[in-house]
Amino acid sequence: MTELIQALIFGVLTGSVYALMATGLTLTFGVMKIVNLAQGAFLILAAYLCYTLWARLGIDPLLGSLIVTVPLGALGVLVYRLIIERVQRVDHGLTIVVTFAIALVAEAVIALVWGPDPVTATPAYFNRAFHLGSVSVPAAQLYACLLAVAITVLLQAGLRRTWLGHAITAAAENPDGARLVGVEPKKIGTWIFAIATATTAFGGAALSFLYQFTPDSQDIWIGLTLSVVIVGGLGSITGAFAAGVLLGLAESVTSTYVSVRWAAAVPTILILLVLLIRPQGLFTLAARQDAAA
Amino acid sequence: MNRQRRPRPLRLPVLAATAALTVTAVAACGSAASSGSAAGQASSGPITIGMSLPMTGPVADVSKSGYQGYELWAAQVNADGGLLGRKVKLDMLDDGFDPNQTAADYTRLISQDHVNLLLGTFSSLLNAPASAIAARQGMLYVEPSGGAATLFTRGFSDLFFAQPGTTTSLPDQFVAWIASLPASQRPATAAYVTQDDPSASPAVAVFRTRLQALGVKTVYYQVYDPSTTNFDSIATAIAHDRPQMIIQGAVADDGAQFVRSLQKIDYNPQILFQTNAPTDEAYPSAIGGAASANGVFTAQSWSSTATYPGNQGFVQAYTKMFGAPPTEDAANSYTAGQVLQAAVKAVGSLDQRALANWLHNHTVSTIVGPLKWDKAGDPEGSLLLSQWQQGTLQIVAPASAATSKTILLTKPAWGNG
Repeated sequence: MTELIQALIFGVLTGSVYALMATGLTLTFGVMKIVNLAQGAFLILAAYLCYTLWARLGIDPLLGSLIVTVPLGALGVLVYRLIIERVQRVDHGLTIVVTFAIALVAEAVIALVWGPDPVTATPAYFNRAFHLGSVSVPAAQLYACLLAVAITVLLQAGLRRTWLGHAITAAAENPDGARLVGVEPKKIGTWIFAIATATTAFGGAALSFLYQFTPDSQDIWIGLTLSVVIVGGLGSITGAFAAGVLLGLAESVTSTYVSVRWAAAVPTILILLVLLIRPQGLFTLAARQDAAA
Repeated sequence: MNRQRRPRPLRLPVLAATAALTVTAVAACGSAASSGSAAGQASSGPITIGMSLPMTGPVADVSKSGYQGYELWAAQVNADGGLLGRKVKLDMLDDGFDPNQTAADYTRLISQDHVNLLLGTFSSLLNAPASAIAARQGMLYVEPSGGAATLFTRGFSDLFFAQPGTTTSLPDQFVAWIASLPASQRPATAAYVTQDDPSASPAVAVFRTRLQALGVKTVYYQVYDPSTTNFDSIATAIAHDRPQMIIQGAVADDGAQFVRSLQKIDYNPQILFQTNAPTDEAYPSAIGGAASANGVFTAQSWSSTATYPGNQGFVQAYTKMFGAPPTEDAANSYTAGQVLQAAVKAVGSLDQRALANWLHNHTVSTIVGPLKWDKAGDPEGSLLLSQWQQGTLQIVAPASAATSKTILLTKPAWGNG
């Protein structure tokens, strides 16, 4: 029983971090129908920036993420205005190619600046765990999980209670209708990219102390975050959170009761099952056909 | 070095390499009859020594120092008048850490470039096909890396491993130390976890067998895939069984990542042994600093502080030439050069068969100690047992090479070393 409880705790903690990392992708993929393959590179960039703030200035990665949101948000605006928006006007389908190109360039730049060796931050609380009987709750993962919950709640509240949030939702559900009531797609797109890229700072902060990373670590994380978005459903922040937790639980239980080697296959199996049974994702309503027009 | 990182998806260069392999293999068939003897025929001009290294790809960062070890050896040989009175010239190709490309490269070196001698590449993954090509062409093959036991069970008589021991002898010094402990201090339980790797998993299997024979009970055993990056569930399962000792067959980054998973749940084994990973200079910083590394055991083929003849000269010359101290990979490739040099000087020709026969019957003095091989090219020594102590990786066994007389019996708690 202890083993099961431990596996479930690890699953929830790990999964919430997956969700945190996928938040930005959920917004761009769900609202703008842009598969931003550069999101993994942005995540690694954020992790390096948080790591650098910790290593050079002693700033805790969780606090450092607040600082990192500023350059990341600015990067999102630049990428959208200078590249994505222009390519989108020519051919929307080309955006996936151009974001892949951005990911490759970003990886090379990161490698030039920080080098190829693996790095990781080790804040003071990293080696600590809360022990509840024979069950351990790692402090670092607990804090990352709390950050994920806070970001999810804030983003969800922002989408529901602000004009910008309503505009984003409107643009996602009916772009033509939104345009008729004065929602400018270019402006909304800029905001979405800024928010999506800025929130990557929080995922990067968690990554910076929970895992080792190198410039090419983006390959792993873009795959995992895409899995979260597909399983959760496009554009659903809470759906992404639930999907992340589900993925974490599935991995943890598989590792504990089946095999560590099968855990790596869990995201792929989940995607296949979701696409077969509920293609619109587990946590969204059925997609409206007119929305894609 | 026995590093093997995440497999990459098949890309265009791989397809191109496969095509190149096919073409060069066909070409090799046509010239095979002459290539074996060609090595010994040319008697003027420089002696060309061919090798293919993973200079690009996932282990490019560590391969550079391996090549520099070869470069330093060649520079020193040339400064001393060369081999057989001829200068030495290196012919290096890049295989991108792709076994197919490695095979294509060694075929090209022998059949098209007509090199006089060969030197090996890095990792068991690449040395397996490379040594097979060399054996087929009747060429001597001295490898700086590639200690998987399976490489020495193929019946090759031209293959020589330029390290003191292979995966099967890796546990020797550690197990001997455990056996020397009084019964009251000997660990009673152990957990074994290893990457599914040709060098790591056989070594851990040997650890398990020999420690069980000493009465150490196995409470956990797990083999994980090379792509594994999250060790939380493994660490949790191990902590649940509370072993006094953990043995990990680590290959590269997985060593530090596993330790971080143990740290996250605050589990401290009394004894921790990891293959490969702790020899990396970046290991302490990857697990939270020198205090966290304190007490961790590993096995090394070479140490900069070892007192074997020529070792200090090698360290100084390498540092002067490249501006940084040598790595274990640099030392291993330099050693491979020393082995080749000793054979050529003694035999007095480039006759590949005669060189192999000489090596089978003689001991060669190198910077990793005296090397002697069995008929399969498996060295008859054992690796050095090392332990991180106060920020330095100290050799603790054998006594003849030890740089520290103290062995920490109990690893301090993480961060409290």
